[in-house]
Amino acid sequence: MAAYKIIDHTYDVVVVGAGGAGLRATMGMGAAGFKTACITKVFPTRSHTVAAQGGIGASLGNMAEDNWKWHMYDTVKGSDWLGDQDAIEYMCREAVPAVYELEHFGVPFSRTPEGKIYQRPFGGHMSNFGEKPVQRACAAADRTGHAILHTLYSQSLKHSCEFFVEYFALDLIMENGACRGVMAWNLDDGTLHRFRAHKVVLASGGYGRAYFSCTSAHTCTGDGHGMVARAGLPLQDMEFVQFHPTGIYGSGCLITEGARGEGGILRNSAGERFMERYAPTAKDLASRDVVSRAMTMEIREGRGVGDHNDHIFLHLDHLDPADLELRLPGISETSKIFAGVDVTKQPIPVLPTVHYNMGGIPTNLYGEVLRPTADNPDATVEGLMAIGEAACVSVHGANRLGTNSLLDIVVFGRAAALRAADTLKPGTPHKPLPADSADLAVSRFDRLRNASGSMHTSEIRLAMQKTMQNDAAVFRTSKSLAEGVEKMYEVASTLPQLKINDRSTVWNSDLVEAFELENLMDCALATIVSAEARHESRGAHAHEDYPDRDDVNWQKHTLATVKDGKVSLDYRPVHTYTLTDEVEYIKPQKRVY
Amino acid sequence: MVEFSLPANSRVQTGKSHKAAAGAKNVKTFKIYRYDPDSGSNPRLDSYEIDLDKCGPMVLDALLKIKNEIDSTLTFRRSCREGICGSCAMNIDGSNTLACLKPIEDIKGDAKIYPLPHMPVVKDLVPDLTIPYAQLASVKPWMQTQTPPPPDGERLQSPEEREKLDGMWECILCFCCQTSCPSYWWNGDRYLGPAVLLQAARWIHDSRDEMTGERLDALEDPFKLYRCHTIMNCTKTCPKGLNPAKAIGSIKTKLLQRGV
Amino acid sequence: MTLRSPIGRARGLGSAKSGMGHHWSTIVTAVGLIPLSLWFVVSIARLAGADHAAFSAWIGQGSNAALMILTIGLVCYHASLGLSMVIEDYVSCKAKKFAGLLATRLIAALLAVGMTVSILKIAVGG
Ligand SMILES: Cc1cc2nc3c(=O)[nH]c(=O)nc-3n(C[C@H](O)[C@H](O)[C@H](O)COP(=O)(O)OP(=O)(O)OC[C@H]3O[C@@H](n4cnc5c(N)ncnc54)[C@H](O)[C@@H]3O)c2cc1C
Ligand code: SF4
Ligand code: SF4
Ligand code: FES
Repeated sequence: MAAYKIIDHTYDVVVVGAGGAGLRATMGMGAAGFKTACITKVFPTRSHTVAAQGGIGASLGNMAEDNWKWHMYDTVKGSDWLGDQDAIEYMCREAVPAVYELEHFGVPFSRTPEGKIYQRPFGGHMSNFGEKPVQRACAAADRTGHAILHTLYSQSLKHSCEFFVEYFALDLIMENGACRGVMAWNLDDGTLHRFRAHKVVLASGGYGRAYFSCTSAHTCTGDGHGMVARAGLPLQDMEFVQFHPTGIYGSGCLITEGARGEGGILRNSAGERFMERYAPTAKDLASRDVVSRAMTMEIREGRGVGDHNDHIFLHLDHLDPADLELRLPGISETSKIFAGVDVTKQPIPVLPTVHYNMGGIPTNLYGEVLRPTADNPDATVEGLMAIGEAACVSVHGANRLGTNSLLDIVVFGRAAALRAADTLKPGTPHKPLPADSADLAVSRFDRLRNASGSMHTSEIRLAMQKTMQNDAAVFRTSKSLAEGVEKMYEVASTLPQLKINDRSTVWNSDLVEAFELENLMDCALATIVSAEARHESRGAHAHEDYPDRDDVNWQKHTLATVKDGKVSLDYRPVHTYTLTDEVEYIKPQKRVY
Repeated sequence: MVEFSLPANSRVQTGKSHKAAAGAKNVKTFKIYRYDPDSGSNPRLDSYEIDLDKCGPMVLDALLKIKNEIDSTLTFRRSCREGICGSCAMNIDGSNTLACLKPIEDIKGDAKIYPLPHMPVVKDLVPDLTIPYAQLASVKPWMQTQTPPPPDGERLQSPEEREKLDGMWECILCFCCQTSCPSYWWNGDRYLGPAVLLQAARWIHDSRDEMTGERLDALEDPFKLYRCHTIMNCTKTCPKGLNPAKAIGSIKTKLLQRGV
Repeated sequence: MTLRSPIGRARGLGSAKSGMGHHWSTIVTAVGLIPLSLWFVVSIARLAGADHAAFSAWIGQGSNAALMILTIGLVCYHASLGLSMVIEDYVSCKAKKFAGLLATRLIAALLAVGMTVSILKIAVGG
């Protein structure tokens, strides 16, 4: 193994990731007096949080009466009773001050005539415990994530936070089960860095890129998940992957539900309006999961369109072009740009598209990472925290409500900093690191940099993405899942044959993609194996052979441990209690909207 | 004086060429700037023939296809692939734009792709943007107030006041404008440039901010601000359709209002 | 090569807290020169082919002399403002820039004063 020079750093806290979650935590840690570093593989404002459009949920009540308890009820119901209600209570309560805080930071929210934050309606958000829709999504036009991310970055400049931009975090430094720091690679000059810290906070985002078609950015590769898995820690509820029915085929960019609201129709290769069969009344306007499932059925039964019969057409061409121009200018433009389609003349190729990962690194509501044991399902890992889409608190349970993710990232980003302030004193002296602290990262670095097998990253990645897309899709059966598990193990077994062409250390994106692939692979394996084991349908996990929710046997969190490419499963109970006695535990009910 | 000839070590040489697979019908050649800091050799222009029938519509799709299928050493930044993260800014067909929003079919003849101009190159299409980022930080692009915010509510702002920020807060910091501005080319160490001034303007025009005067003070400088000669390259090139030149004009107007 | 921090480089020497005056003067001189140049062109056109005496008589009129002096002053001032902009833009060598800016201002002042004195001489009938 080549000798690599390692540059050492010591901090109280190191945050990995500079999306909404990472920036909020970094700021909070700095404000609490900790010497804090934030490591990020992309410049902060290029993080995926920038893509969020609709809004951030909080019961401000600016448009009509609202109450955090209603928000909590909606979130529990949305989670299909897999969410932990203590954490959900915390999030929905804290939502209101969290959004005010964002406003005070300078987020350019849209305004009501009285000058308050504008709120719009969003799916699943209701007033008075599910009665009728309420306007709860605080919005900055249709660029809420952009507004929040840029503002949080500006705040971190104000607090002179220390950033390590375009540093790729490789692995955690673990000692006797505790996290002692993290190893990272500086893309800019090719050096390796060892960060020693009392707390490492993972805020590395989701892993949408495990699938062929996703609304997520290229950088959503589950790096934090991979690091945790290699540290021998479990991932939680990975089978719950949210699909949006209409992402553009290939690029995955989102086409809003509004397109069908204006009269858009989905058709299969026979030109049939198949939604009439699946949902005779609501047809194309049935709920997201129903539509996604119907589309998948059509494709699986060979009625998909295109060269590979693997997508569906969304027709808007029967609508009046003037109406399209008036009501769907954004969609017309997006379709033109990303599908090369003139919506007044041609259909848009769409596919149910992976949108969000409910599962992730298990944490409690303080952001502390869990390593459940037989006698303590809530045991924590010393020195390690996780927040944002990378984490599973779990506030989203089996299905996330729109607007609750932006909320999650700011509320728990802040919570992590508060917890650190409670449990750690700034400037606490450090023990020396173990002699082998860099070994895992450096050996992986050296192995992958010199990988000279026969398969390129993109080949293996594509095989993984196609397998996940086909077999861990919207709609799952015992057969598809069993086949999927087998195929995924096969794909994963090709990793040792990886071949890298770029041997340099400076901005070697060939190597970055190889690291990302290894991380994605762990996520993909955990997802499909967890899904195969869950014999019920709950939220985003729709199992054809077990179409009902089974609270007796399955109201529990899945724990998947990935070791050397093999997944082992365990479970931990869902928290069936709230945080305070101001609200009562919401008992499972049938989920109808 | 300004140097009008390139130093010997930055003269671009002809590089490797990669042919399309036999039988490809709809072939386009991409000529791409390559620079490998490790090799010590001069930058070169590699050409890649791409079968457009088997490629997505955008320049970024072609770059990804090259990276995935032809030459995985090609290096460029990308993330969102939908024109919102600002990663993939580069010089395509002679103008600065986002690769993910630039349709291949809009390019006549061979597609020539270079990094953003007048920035140090780290590798291939990856420029070093440290200085523009630092310039951004130098204008204190965060909310500055004296009045404490209301404890249980938002600061109020009328819809009209909020509208003043439109056309500025949407900037994705891609620096296409910054690196297309001749004034920035010649005086990039002292002139703040259109992207940074647009951000400065975003806070100057925010009705909630209370440090407008201090912000104007910090900008009133022959170099930081007044290097803008309204050449308008910035506005012409902005892939998000924003108008930095107008925003800069608005700062100059504010200064005049205060001084005259 | 510099090892100074990026933010240190970006802040540089800070703001000169001037520039608005230069900008305003450019606008004022430019606006002022619009009618003045029209007047000048028209007058010269009318005087086309006139002999030295006619020309001197024309300048000898008080209003013409005043406008002529104003035009010269504004032209020189405007030119020096513009030229110094150009020098600041394109000359990066500090010594050359300093010399250039100095020369621009002095030459402009010299020209303005010289021409004004000549006009006055004719006008006052020296
Ligand atoms: C199209 C779209 C629209 C959406 N709209 C909404 C909405 O309207 N409302 C809502 O609530 N939610 C929405 N979401 C979801 C929400 O945007 C995300 O879940 C959320 O932004 C995730 O934030 P994060 O901070 O956890 O991660 P990210 O923003 O993804 O940030 C991850 C960070 O980790 C860093 N990182 C990752 N790996 C490494 C590594 N190895 N080394 C160093 N750094 C690393 C990255 O550089 C990045 O800074 C939407 C999502 C999509 C895809
Ligand atoms: S208008 Fe100003 S900022 Fe824009 S290109 Fe011209 S000089 Fe540069
Ligand atoms: S103004 Fe436009 S070109 Fe300039 S950085 Fe912002 S988005 Fe990019
Ligand atoms: S990849 Fe994000 S702007 Fe092009």
